[in-house]
Amino acid sequence: MVMTRGRGRGMRGGMMRPMGPGGPHFVPKMKQFVPRLPFDMVLCESAFPKVKPAPDESAFTQALLKRNADLSPTPAEQAAVLNLVTKIQGVMDNLIVDPGNFDACQIEEVRQVGSYKKGTMMTGHNVADIVVILKTLPTKEAVEALGKKVCDDLRTQEPHEVLVLTMLPDDRGFEISNSEATVRVLVTTIHQNLRKLDPELHLDQKILQSHLAAIRHSRWFEENAHHSTIKVLIRLLRDLRTRFEGFDPLSPWMLDLLAHYAIMNNPSRQALPINSAFRRCLQLLAAGLFLPGSAGIFSLGISDPCEGGNIRVHTAMTLEQQDLVCLTAQTLLRVLSHGGYKQILGLEGNSSIASEMSVWDGVVVSALEKAYEKPPERPLQDDDANDMDADDDPMETADN
Amino acid sequence: MYWSGLSAAANAAAAYQTGQTGYPVGHTPTGTYATQRAAGSTYDTSYQTAAAAATHSTAAATYPSAAASTTYDYGYGRTTQTAAAAAAAAYDSSKTYYAQPSSATAYTAADTHYQNVLSTDKAAYTNASAYTTTSRQTTPVVTPKTSYAGAYPGAAAATATYNTSAYAAQTTTGNKAATLYVPQASQPAAAAAAAVKTTANTWQTFKKAGPVQGKTQKPKAPPKPQQLHYCDVCKISCAGPQTYREHLEGQKHKKKEAAAKAGPAPSRHGASLRCELCDVTCTGADAYAAHIRGAKHQKVVKLHQKLGKPIPSTDPVIVGGTTKTSTASSGSSTGAKTTTAGGATANAGVPATDGKKEDIKEELLDLKEKDVEPVGQEYIEEIKNEEGKVVSFNCKLCECRFNDPNAKEMHMKGRRHRLQYKKKVNPELVVEVKPSLRQRKLQEEKLRRQQPGLHQLREEMWRRREEERLLEEEERWYWEERRRYEEECEYLDWCRRYPRGPPGPPPMMPPGMPRPPFMPGMPPMMPIRRPDSSDDRHVLAKHAEIYPKEEELGAIQKIVSNTEKSLKMVSDYLAEVDAPTRVKKEEESKEDDKKEGEKKDDGPPRMLKGVMRVGILAKGLLLRGDTSVQLVVLCGDKPTRTLLDRVADNLPKQLAVVAPEDKYEIQRVVEEAALVVQNVGSDQRISVNVTLTSPIMREQLLHEGDSQVTAAKDPPDVLDKQKCLDALAALRHAKWFQARANGLQSCVMVIRILRDLCQRVPTWAPLNNWAMELMCEKVIASAGQHLSPGDALRRVFEALASGLLLPGSPGLLDPCEKDPVDAASSLTAQEREDITASAQHALRLIAFRQIHKVLGMDPIPPPKFQRGGRFTRKRRRDNSSGEGNDSEGELEGGDGKKDKKEDEELKMDMDKETK
Repeated sequence: MVMTRGRGRGMRGGMMRPMGPGGPHFVPKMKQFVPRLPFDMVLCESAFPKVKPAPDESAFTQALLKRNADLSPTPAEQAAVLNLVTKIQGVMDNLIVDPGNFDACQIEEVRQVGSYKKGTMMTGHNVADIVVILKTLPTKEAVEALGKKVCDDLRTQEPHEVLVLTMLPDDRGFEISNSEATVRVLVTTIHQNLRKLDPELHLDQKILQSHLAAIRHSRWFEENAHHSTIKVLIRLLRDLRTRFEGFDPLSPWMLDLLAHYAIMNNPSRQALPINSAFRRCLQLLAAGLFLPGSAGIFSLGISDPCEGGNIRVHTAMTLEQQDLVCLTAQTLLRVLSHGGYKQILGLEGNSSIASEMSVWDGVVVSALEKAYEKPPERPLQDDDANDMDADDDPMETADN
Repeated sequence: MYWSGLSAAANAAAAYQTGQTGYPVGHTPTGTYATQRAAGSTYDTSYQTAAAAATHSTAAATYPSAAASTTYDYGYGRTTQTAAAAAAAAYDSSKTYYAQPSSATAYTAADTHYQNVLSTDKAAYTNASAYTTTSRQTTPVVTPKTSYAGAYPGAAAATATYNTSAYAAQTTTGNKAATLYVPQASQPAAAAAAAVKTTANTWQTFKKAGPVQGKTQKPKAPPKPQQLHYCDVCKISCAGPQTYREHLEGQKHKKKEAAAKAGPAPSRHGASLRCELCDVTCTGADAYAAHIRGAKHQKVVKLHQKLGKPIPSTDPVIVGGTTKTSTASSGSSTGAKTTTAGGATANAGVPATDGKKEDIKEELLDLKEKDVEPVGQEYIEEIKNEEGKVVSFNCKLCECRFNDPNAKEMHMKGRRHRLQYKKKVNPELVVEVKPSLRQRKLQEEKLRRQQPGLHQLREEMWRRREEERLLEEEERWYWEERRRYEEECEYLDWCRRYPRGPPGPPPMMPPGMPRPPFMPGMPPMMPIRRPDSSDDRHVLAKHAEIYPKEEELGAIQKIVSNTEKSLKMVSDYLAEVDAPTRVKKEEESKEDDKKEGEKKDDGPPRMLKGVMRVGILAKGLLLRGDTSVQLVVLCGDKPTRTLLDRVADNLPKQLAVVAPEDKYEIQRVVEEAALVVQNVGSDQRISVNVTLTSPIMREQLLHEGDSQVTAAKDPPDVLDKQKCLDALAALRHAKWFQARANGLQSCVMVIRILRDLCQRVPTWAPLNNWAMELMCEKVIASAGQHLSPGDALRRVFEALASGLLLPGSPGLLDPCEKDPVDAASSLTAQEREDITASAQHALRLIAFRQIHKVLGMDPIPPPKFQRGGRFTRKRRRDNSSGEGNDSEGELEGGDGKKDKKEDEELKMDMDKETK
């Protein structure tokens, strides 16, 4: 298990400092945390030859495809959002080329990101994301002024259209919506400016970085995850996330990575069929892919540029959330294996299967309880207790 | 430096004609100095050779220093020199310099006219001054941009002349204060309001006349009823003669007088605007405008009006950073005067005015920079009162407030605001750089250099260079000394730290040499795999807890080996008994039996061919409290009840022979195809199950299709077939185990732990040993790497949690059966479900540091030695807090404090991870 602090300690005590008077033979403990991938049936298939032929899953596959079809946006929706995105992009491009008397900020670049860009939009959620990289520093006023300017320009272009401009919370950007579609414009700035930020005056650096990350994510996606099975799976997973509370902590980016991993990361390197991939997602989560101590998704050839390639994607969740995600997946996996795919896909029943006992063909499937416990309060005086806590503290997920 | 520069120049000049070799010669002497200068001097050389003018040598020689300073200086210096030296190339470059900033600096579209003026050449420039003279009257208006723009050139053009005249006036007064009795009405108000150039001139003349009359005039002209005691130096009026005298005696006045004698003090800034009337210097046009509008200025104007003194134009006087304007020759100043006074008629083609013009241009430039576009309007917050009237402004960038809209305007153009804007909003905004102290000094120096003759200049240059060289050398010595000292210290330190180490490097290492790659006594740098994580420790502790005690193992070992020996003897006995029915070979076999067992029999086989350990005994999976072990006796033929009885009858006798001091009890369990040997009298009862079986049972099963006949041959009282087959399977499992699981790291340990779990937790009880063993082996082996016990256990739970036992999984194919069989086939769907759910929860418990709950034990605090003892611990903290120089005493005493610090550290870690 993770001994982050331990390792750090080792470094401090041993590596950085030449030997002290402790003696030449004193060897400090080198605690090394090696995150390990959890058990993955697909990867060790050869060790588990099938006892009996695999059951027929065509019904399950059909259900998955049907669900996907239900979730995909209609052509009308797609057209509406495309229309609005094109217009806004046009306005922004004009601002780049000729800012005119608009001097509240300067735009460096405008990029489409998110589910719209990736082609994983869901019906009923007609929102496209655009990231605007400012050359100037991102002040709240600049965001406001930009929103106004874009909206005004749009209105002058098409005076009869009803446009609503909404500022997003935390000043992360603004939203322009017409009757059919919404475009969310997220503001960030160029890298060089990130160092000059003043929390009083500018947008939160974390927000800015997350927007920059969104650009990288969509670029990565374009390059690596264009397989349509992946897109289908992402849509299905997003649907799961909206319907099962326990999956709420999973970010869209985690789902993207998970879907890509489940489909592409297998011995043959050929895309897995959707039914296996869907099950594998649940299996991976149930096996603790996103639990502390797991390698998670990062050492898998996916270089996550914003995280420097060293941060496991699931560490963005709190420990409690990791527990919740895992237990939800575990329960759903058992339901799935007892034939409850319709309930999981939302074709029948409700989401109570994740949290309540259910009976499948005479087998009682019970829900799981949380395992995570808040670490106890540390007594300050007691040195020993301190010791213990120090080493125990840890379900550290952050090993880096 | 200068020396070499000259000699280099001379060398190069000489060498240039002879050939290329001269070039490196020129280089070498200069090479001893800073490279920048070397470059400069080489430039000189080429320059000189190109110009090939002896008179230019001094000008060229000063050139490197100019180049070393700012380009601005350089340009200025060159242009003033051009008047005398006229080096065409240099002049050109200076011109381009001027042209660039004028077009580059931000200027609004409003003053295009002005811009044109700047970017075009001399002719246009005179136009500009003409234009400005006309627009001068409007200067007091401040707010609109255009008027600023108009005001500037006017101010710039006018002050050039105005300043000089004023200066002249001052000098003529001899800095002597004079009380003037002036008729109030003598000066027309109109003249004061619109101070045209001509009035300024008249004022000048008037002033000149003034001091001549001086005090002597005082009694002569007393017709004015009102006396005003006015101090011309300090520009104040006094209430009466008494106070006036006191003022003259005062320090303030003396100071002012002295300052006036010394000449106009150079202002701190590159150029500033001066209100001659009030003797106030403003840094910018805005500040100047504010001053003009201000009460103080108005008061002074009133006073002057009262005094009947001429009121100079409100146009500001441009004061250069130095005494530029005053140093200009009188000829040029008159030239400028005519151009401004005469307006467009003036011809700018006169070369004599060139220098002056450049000056003016430059001043304009400086001022133009002040006239910047206000930025960051968005960040000025308007604060309104209850009625909605704007009462004040708040600049969010600079965090300051103003009540006056004009102040706001000025603030927005101000340097501070612009800097803030640059810092916080647009990093690309151009904010003029304040010349550094050094640059200013250089500039001053250059100007001073312009004044004295060339000879003096050279002299000065020499001196300075020499000084610099000495300084440099001194510095070098200092650093050299310092380096040596540090090296020595280091060596001593090193010796102190490694007293027993081999002799270290010499104290005087050559400076370039790298440090030795490693220190003696340094620990090996190889990352060592952590021996145990918390999980590992728990697993190991649990394992130690469930592993049987020495005496338990001894007792089991004893009864098993006794039973085995006895069975061997029973086998012998049976063979003997059966012998009469056999032929002669019997005696032979009797002797051989004792040595090599039953293998020799090739005729009719012995009934009991051998005894094997199976199950936990064979696999080494015994746990504490296990009292039952299994042996399998392989029979030559299908075991029958008769055989079982015969063995059971004979065994006690043989046991008594083998272990006379122990008492054993033997039971027949026919339905199990076994007999059970138990020890009696010992404190712990151990039972050994001896199952009879025969390979023939399975062979028959396998060849069932071929030979129906064999079935018919079965004796009537043959033992239970399934039990016999199970025993055979157990034999195969034991073999498999020894081949596969025993060699696998952590595997046996994890299986023992899981056996314990299956015994402890009812949910897990249905999972049979064989399935469990098989699963563990597969799961651990498939990891593809060595796993520590903790990791291995976790992986097993991961596999179960991911649905290994659930329907739809591939299942556990039994390698010991011919047909594909699921080793866990005995589990019902509900049992599979329950075990999976339990494993899933267990996995999360492990992940969240509660493995002790899974293992059914108390949590183990991490061992003390992990910290490396108290001493190292302190050291670590010491390091981590970055306070290497903490005294030991503090360390000893401040333990509690440190703990707190660690706590904070810890919290931070937690924060980080939960973010």
